[in-house]
Amino acid sequence: MSAQLLDIISSAAIFYIVAAGLLIVFGVMKIINFAHGGFLTIGGYAALVTTELGLNPWLALPLAALTGLVIGALVEHFVVRPLYARPLDAILATWGLGIVIGQLITIAFGREVQFVQSPVKGTTSLLGEDYSLYRLLLVIGALVLAAGLAAILQGTRLGLMTRAVIMNESLARGLGINSGLVRFASFSVGSALASLAGALITPLSSVDPNMGVPWLVNAFMLVLVSGTSLVSLAIATVVLGGAQVLISAFWSPILGSLTIVVLAAVILRIRPQGFARE
Amino acid sequence: MNRVLLSASPQLRKILGLALLALLAVGVAPFLLDIYTVNILVRSLLYACVALTVDILWGYTGILTFGQSAFFGIGAYACGLAFSHLGLSPTVAILAFVGGLAVAAATAALVGWLAFGYGVSPIYVSVVTLVLPIVVTQILFSGGTFTGSSSGLSGFDTVDLDLETWFWIAGGALVILTTAAWIFVRSDAGRLLVAIRENEQRCEYLGINTSLLKTMILVAAALVAAAAGYAYAAYTDVIAPELAGFVFGTELVIWVALGGRGTLIGPVVGAIVIDLVSAYLSGSLPFVWKLVIGLAFVLVIVVLPQGFVPLLRKGWRRLSRSAPPAEPISALRPAPGASRRHSTAGTSLALQHVSRHYGSLKVLAGIDLSVRPGELLSLVGPNGAGKTTLIRCIADGHERSGGRVLVQGNDIGRRSPQRCVAFGIGRKFQTANVFETLTVAECLRLARHRLERPSWWARGSTLSVPEAALNVISATGLDRELGAAVTHLSHGMKQALELAMVLALEPSVLLLDEPTAGLTKPERALIGGILTTLAREHALSILLVEHDLDFVREISSRVVVLHQGRIVLDGTVAEVVDSALVRTIYAGEEHAVTGAAR
Amino acid sequence: MSGAALDLTGVSSGYGEALVIRDVSLSVAPAEIFAILGKNGMGKSTLLKTIMGYLPLAAGQIRIFGDPTKGVPTYRLADRGIAYSPQEQALFQDLSVGDNLRLGLSHETRFAQELDRVGRFFPFLPERMRQRAGTLSGGEQKMLLVARALMARPRLMLVDEISEGLQPSVVQKLVEVLRAERAATGVTILLVEQNVRFASAVADRYAILKRGEIVDTGGIADSGVEAKITNELSSV
Repeated sequence: MSAQLLDIISSAAIFYIVAAGLLIVFGVMKIINFAHGGFLTIGGYAALVTTELGLNPWLALPLAALTGLVIGALVEHFVVRPLYARPLDAILATWGLGIVIGQLITIAFGREVQFVQSPVKGTTSLLGEDYSLYRLLLVIGALVLAAGLAAILQGTRLGLMTRAVIMNESLARGLGINSGLVRFASFSVGSALASLAGALITPLSSVDPNMGVPWLVNAFMLVLVSGTSLVSLAIATVVLGGAQVLISAFWSPILGSLTIVVLAAVILRIRPQGFARE
Repeated sequence: MNRVLLSASPQLRKILGLALLALLAVGVAPFLLDIYTVNILVRSLLYACVALTVDILWGYTGILTFGQSAFFGIGAYACGLAFSHLGLSPTVAILAFVGGLAVAAATAALVGWLAFGYGVSPIYVSVVTLVLPIVVTQILFSGGTFTGSSSGLSGFDTVDLDLETWFWIAGGALVILTTAAWIFVRSDAGRLLVAIRENEQRCEYLGINTSLLKTMILVAAALVAAAAGYAYAAYTDVIAPELAGFVFGTELVIWVALGGRGTLIGPVVGAIVIDLVSAYLSGSLPFVWKLVIGLAFVLVIVVLPQGFVPLLRKGWRRLSRSAPPAEPISALRPAPGASRRHSTAGTSLALQHVSRHYGSLKVLAGIDLSVRPGELLSLVGPNGAGKTTLIRCIADGHERSGGRVLVQGNDIGRRSPQRCVAFGIGRKFQTANVFETLTVAECLRLARHRLERPSWWARGSTLSVPEAALNVISATGLDRELGAAVTHLSHGMKQALELAMVLALEPSVLLLDEPTAGLTKPERALIGGILTTLAREHALSILLVEHDLDFVREISSRVVVLHQGRIVLDGTVAEVVDSALVRTIYAGEEHAVTGAAR
Repeated sequence: MSGAALDLTGVSSGYGEALVIRDVSLSVAPAEIFAILGKNGMGKSTLLKTIMGYLPLAAGQIRIFGDPTKGVPTYRLADRGIAYSPQEQALFQDLSVGDNLRLGLSHETRFAQELDRVGRFFPFLPERMRQRAGTLSGGEQKMLLVARALMARPRLMLVDEISEGLQPSVVQKLVEVLRAERAATGVTILLVEQNVRFASAVADRYAILKRGEIVDTGGIADSGVEAKITNELSSV
């Protein structure tokens, strides 16, 4: 039972890390960035490059985040901004970009599954179980991320401006907030977070050009069910991620992988706001 | 019927002629192309059939779907599983075919129920259609040796036909499907698709059951996709979960986008060309090719949302300098039986203790109102008094929080707007709520949908509308603009068109929200005259929300004043006009203020 | 016309093709309080939205302190010292009083100072800094709205129907605050109103907007004006 509990907590943490960037973009820009999976993959391959260059594996994190930031900024300016008035098309265009990113990576790195060096190896004993130390560190990482995001959003001027744009963009503009800049920054940061997440999750399994896709679908459903609130996202990752762990363990891993997606679809049909307050 | 056939036939003849030519090309092609190409083309042609369905769903009806691949996979697996486990025989073949189609149809109906319910957002629809292929592939994965799990099944005994025959089957099916789709899309019923895509709310308020229609189209699309999948499995002798996967599902969307959504030919050509080229390049440059497609897709979405084929078409037209085909102009005639007066007895609209609140915010409370036929009632009051909310509560059973609304004695309960229309409600919105890309005649025909079902294959050359609508149309000059696209009309004309459309519903209760907004003085006088005539001569009950109090004074038989969600005054124009209460409400005199020292 | 705080020449605008305001010309002098009066649906809010850049100009020109506003995005106008208080959805309901006030300024540096100044006008505000704006009463929300507008010491205030639905005592307070601010800082105020008494108590000059056109204008202290306006507004 403790193994399941630890699995639930660490899975929730991992889903949170993966989905947080997508939620920020959704909250500010009201679109789903379908290239999110591509940014995850970029982060994963940044970790691969770090391993191949023989560098300290921890360096993969800033490298991934920086790459994601730069590419995200370019994408926002050239692809997303022109589609401001056409949200469904923005989703499609970012999906196309995801494909482009996947193909570029395939051309550069090849199609095979490859492995990266984990910055932390081994297990530790917790609650009577021998559990992967790296997974536990990811839990701490998720908490740090959540705290950091909360600190920025609640405690800084930029965070206040971002919350204002999320709540009422028109009013925000009337108060002197350059909402175009806020959107640009949010998308870039969201992409950086996605790449960071990619670098963080690869030591758990492997990298390949399509690694981002299953994560994208799950993250996307988690975001839809959370609305614009990071707190709702935390709740959703625990509830839905937990359900996934339990179903995979006690019933069937294949059906388990469907849990988040199916549950989220059902929840949204019953309560279109999902876990969000309003 | 004969009149319709005769007048529609030049267009129809041209289409059938082109179809015949295409069939000829299909017949001859296997002998002109090399075997490898023909082999690939059979597959491409089947894919094109599915791309066609995606275009109908997305390009025409506005339903962005990634899930057509799921139905394709269902058809393919019906074939492969049946032949693998039950052997090859005509009975098995037919049962598998019917079975596959049945499962696809049932799944589509379920998806339709889930995705097209009342108040569901378009993003959710895409969510469900994305989830569907994921679920189907996972089910196939978990099927063990029965379904072949991740590797699928192959090498089963299959229908033995030679390559030419398969090509003729696939090509013939594609030509027939495309022709049928073309005829449907251009018919009067086909305009419904565009109407739904453009302004679903207006469709609902015209009494059109959009949820049912969308589900029907989805089921039809699923059947076609499943049939194509069945043929695919029989031809290639391989079934694998990727056939039902969402990668294929999104590829279909990409082909449609690149070819040109909403053009039918574009997606067909796009699917065939891209698949053919992919097959040729798969040996040498598979990743670069996919990269090019991806980049082209992004470019098209951002810069060229119409896709490539319409671009080519424009260039062709410029080269050949031929005028685009003229639309058949409809003639209008009065609808039989519609000019009879509505019964003048009884109450046409009754509100009993209607209330509306959002959480603790009370917008309407304790509204009791009765309207008789022939009354022209104006609803006035300051901003935020709840006037538009009241209109919504009358026209949409879901809207109110409490109380009852009875139309012609029928309790509207929790019925959606299209069912309220059936009881006799006609709602005209504040901003001209019409179909911008359709013509005036098409809009009017759609408005008659509830009373006169449109043809599924022909375009009628005449249109019958009730006398009330005819009056509006001729008085405002719309009868000279029947073939014009709505988007080119002036604001006043659009308002008139919407009024005509609502009158074409033959309502007994007409709800108007600020009908004079943005109109010039002569236009206002015209509308005022029309409304008075409607009440007096056709015994319509008219409820109108207005800020222009001069207009109200001129035409109303009764005035109701709403203030902070309650009715504070209800009487004749004379009674209300001079009342001190109204002056107070409007001039804010109840807030006695002393000026500070100047 | 030169030296005017706000100058409109031949301004027409609306939503899509429907023109709501047609050929409106008016000029507001610096430190003047000007009231635009009219019934509902006559274009008052549209006028303010056009000045603020939310709606494009179909015709005409707008100058604010001499600078034309054409092509200037809304947020930059706010930065130039223009405070706009819309009629609906004017506050961030889910943000605290303090956060709403913070958003009135472009930099945090002078927040404490300005809060102090504005707090003297509305003493209840500094005590409720953490309270969610949506939980304030209607009158308190309007006062918060005015306070936010005053935080940045604007040169021009655009106020849309601030007195609507307020108790007499609160309306009285607003009159005092606006006139006091004008006396202290020389701010120009353009008010849009339906409440004649409020307008005549606070404004210097007025104009009546009817179906998108200016039909009357003059000094509010002129004789018989109040009766004239009241007649116009409440005529059924």
